Amino acid sequence: MITVSQTITLNDLTVNFDERFQLTNINWELTTGQHWMVTGANGAGKSALAAVLAGAGDIIAGAVSGLPNTVSIVSFEAQAELIAEELKKDDADILDVIAEGTTVSEVFERDCADTQLALELADVFGLGSLLDRAFRKLSTGESRKMMLVRALANKPDLLILDEPFDGLDVEMHAQLQAYLKKLSQTVPMVIVLNRLDECPDFITDIAYVAEGELGQQIKRSDEKAYAELYQLLHLKTTDLEVPAADPENPIPTLDSAQPLVNLKNATIKYGDTVIFEGLNWTIQPNEHWQLSGPNGSGKTGLLSLITGDHPQCYTNDIFVFGFKRGSGESIWQIKQFIGYVSTALQWEYRVSVSIRNVVISGFYDSIGLYTKCTDRQRQIADEWLALLGMSERADQPFNKLSYGDQRLLLIARAMVKHPPLLILDEPCLGLDDMNRQLVLALIERICAGTETSVLYVNHHPEDKIKGIEKYLAL
Amino acid sequence: MANYFNTLPLREQLEQLAKCRFMDMSEFSDGVDALKGKKMVVIGCGAQGLNQGLNLRDSGLDVSYTLRAEAIEQKRQSWKNATENGFTVGTYEELIPTADVVLNLTPDKQHTAVVNAVMPLMKEGACLSYSHGFNIVEEGMQIRDDLTVIMVAPKCPGSEVRAEYVRGFGVPTLIAVHEDNDPKGEGLALAKAYAVGTGGHKAGVLMSSFIAEVKSDLMGEQTILCGMLQTGSLLCYDKMIEEGIDAGYASKLIQYGWETITEALKYGGVTNMLDRLSNPAKIKAFDLSEELKEIMRPLYNKHQDDIIDGTFSRVMMEDWANDDKNLLGWRAETAETAFEKMPAGDVEISEQEYFDNGILMVAMVKAGVELAFETMTAAGIIADSAYYESLHETPLIANTIARKKLYEMNATISDTAEYGCYLYNHACLPLLGDFMKGIKSDVIGKGLSLDDMGVDNARLIEVNTALRSHPVEAIGATLRGHMADMKKIV
Repeated sequence: MITVSQTITLNDLTVNFDERFQLTNINWELTTGQHWMVTGANGAGKSALAAVLAGAGDIIAGAVSGLPNTVSIVSFEAQAELIAEELKKDDADILDVIAEGTTVSEVFERDCADTQLALELADVFGLGSLLDRAFRKLSTGESRKMMLVRALANKPDLLILDEPFDGLDVEMHAQLQAYLKKLSQTVPMVIVLNRLDECPDFITDIAYVAEGELGQQIKRSDEKAYAELYQLLHLKTTDLEVPAADPENPIPTLDSAQPLVNLKNATIKYGDTVIFEGLNWTIQPNEHWQLSGPNGSGKTGLLSLITGDHPQCYTNDIFVFGFKRGSGESIWQIKQFIGYVSTALQWEYRVSVSIRNVVISGFYDSIGLYTKCTDRQRQIADEWLALLGMSERADQPFNKLSYGDQRLLLIARAMVKHPPLLILDEPCLGLDDMNRQLVLALIERICAGTETSVLYVNHHPEDKIKGIEKYLAL
Repeated sequence: MANYFNTLPLREQLEQLAKCRFMDMSEFSDGVDALKGKKMVVIGCGAQGLNQGLNLRDSGLDVSYTLRAEAIEQKRQSWKNATENGFTVGTYEELIPTADVVLNLTPDKQHTAVVNAVMPLMKEGACLSYSHGFNIVEEGMQIRDDLTVIMVAPKCPGSEVRAEYVRGFGVPTLIAVHEDNDPKGEGLALAKAYAVGTGGHKAGVLMSSFIAEVKSDLMGEQTILCGMLQTGSLLCYDKMIEEGIDAGYASKLIQYGWETITEALKYGGVTNMLDRLSNPAKIKAFDLSEELKEIMRPLYNKHQDDIIDGTFSRVMMEDWANDDKNLLGWRAETAETAFEKMPAGDVEISEQEYFDNGILMVAMVKAGVELAFETMTAAGIIADSAYYESLHETPLIANTIARKKLYEMNATISDTAEYGCYLYNHACLPLLGDFMKGIKSDVIGKGLSLDDMGVDNARLIEVNTALRSHPVEAIGATLRGHMADMKKIV
């Protein structure tokens, strides 16, 4: 029986893969008794991270220590490598015969520490009748199984499985799950998986990789963190697109030659206290802005001059969405052009209303829903919930949701009508790391998929949003 | 000035009292058009004045404020409220002559002085708007023939009027046109546009008359709304102390109990409030309330009679003329009561416990709501009005007691309501003296301690039927249905 009694440590590790990909600043500890799942979006670097444990990549900085002697890896890359070797051999063959290539049993004899075990496992996985077949001739699923048997029969001290269930039929999937479960009692495993719902029961820890960095590491038993990770993966990997606006009730078209917002010599003061004065600001269509400034500098006040929520918008020279403020327009005529998210809005959103209706309320710019919506609007709201991975909770009350989920919903509410201007007033405020990632992932999807100008207020440099090129500091 | 109501023939009195209709949303399709471009000048910048003005301006209307010259010179709170929110503020002389609509949002007591001051300054054919009809109906104020007189009365405190508007909703609102002053026939259009401007149309608008509003409003506020809650608070507290209940607990049970039990009332009427009790407790509360109704009915009748014939307003106005001697004396007395002086204890009371240990309070609310409703409808006030002025508003007043006891209630309500509340309280306390002698802590403070929670089937059916078939329940179900349609489509 093999047990890993030591700890594998990746310390400030930076690894290059053929110049085309880099894992950066990895700090990771795998200890006795743990089985890890590594997950992340496509291209995030999860396979690379697992492969590092099998010796892949060029270490640029930092160190790996505690790796056991025998590490087996099953991955599409390893599979491709094996096939490439075989092809090379084939090319080198100068005899004028059609080479059948290496058979499955030959692969086992060549590569496995325990050939007998390999043959037993071949039976278990239904490869018994294929032992004499050239492995190049195997179907995708069959060669996948062969790779697994090959790895398992190598009696590894650490087993790395990269998407082991891909290409397996349902029956095989269950069989492999059962086998791995048994194996988990003796062999520590690192399994790379795209989908959390494939996560085997014996996994104890989950690592989330994003953009070449190791993000969250959560315990499987932490249900809350698990649920959030599920949602994040969903947002990062779903094929769903940002739902369209309501074609039956379009927002009036704006004159594209006019700025969305034009403030001249704007001032906010309370009594004799001046918050800011003499501020000039123009937001043109399709410009993305970041607004920053210390606490109390009037960021939110400035935004509320635009949204019409500040009473002093009537004493300033403000032009918004074709209206000179104070010329007989109503705030609802202004608000129809704006999507708005802030912590204050979340605090104010305390009415008893379902999750779906929170999204629908974005069509009416109301807190709560007081108008009968159209079928189309309901359908669009459901599409948003699908994007957020909240479809099953559509009828649950909003106030029972976690803080982070509420924020996601309010962003969907703000975007549901595809407003010309989306104002995000510190959208990550009060959120933990995971929820911040969730919010940013959603905002990025929105920015990529719509023609909305984003006005982003934030003073955390790490909460960047791609595509913002204009800055205003108060 | 003579009491206007008393100058009308009986036929017309009855017709006016019976006016009240829940308006359909489609009647507001013109939005604020009737007020668009008109100059609206608000007199007074307290909670109602400021918040209504904020809503009207956000609806695209032209709003400014006029204050007395002293308030402007001394930069009083009303001046600060208006200027800090970016409104134009001016004296009567500066702004009233420019106004198309003058919104009188000052306290009742000031109406005669205010209207006498502004009327000569108003331009020909302008509109004067009230939020309460006391000045017209009870004081008999005569308004210039060329002026249109309307009433728009949001049925919530000013802060709510604003908060609901900002959410995209509104508060239930009552509108009326003073038919003697509608020379151009535009009163209704102006009142509807005003209700839209404050967001009221989204929550439901009742079309009433000045008379129905005044007579029902006065009756509701002085009996069930304020009078019954004040009297009940004092009696229940003293009884619990007498029964050896911890003073902090007793104080808390009452202060927050009214709010909790009337929340159930708001959702499902008297029936639902009683349904929150166990079967034996429900029967007990029912029996107590029947007893209370019998004892208090003459008092409710007297209040309604005094309101209808003008005795109440005459007596109160005498006190106004006497520098509020009675009002201020009674206010000071209330502050000295044992309940008022005992702060709520730091004890946990669950939501259900407020019902279980407050059976008498439930009985008092039931008796007060039903009596007020029965008395109002018997006097010719239509059921819709009677419902709003009794059951509907009780939770709003209960909320004020939860905030800061009777002090807060009396500070929040109008002087008129406060005066009527004290009248009721002074008559009701001795009236219930004998009744209270038979009360023990099982119905106030501790709850029933029964080994057997069983009840007689026939008796329970009788009680349930009586509860559910009271006329306030039928109209309540209808009106709450309208409201629910408009409010939450959850």
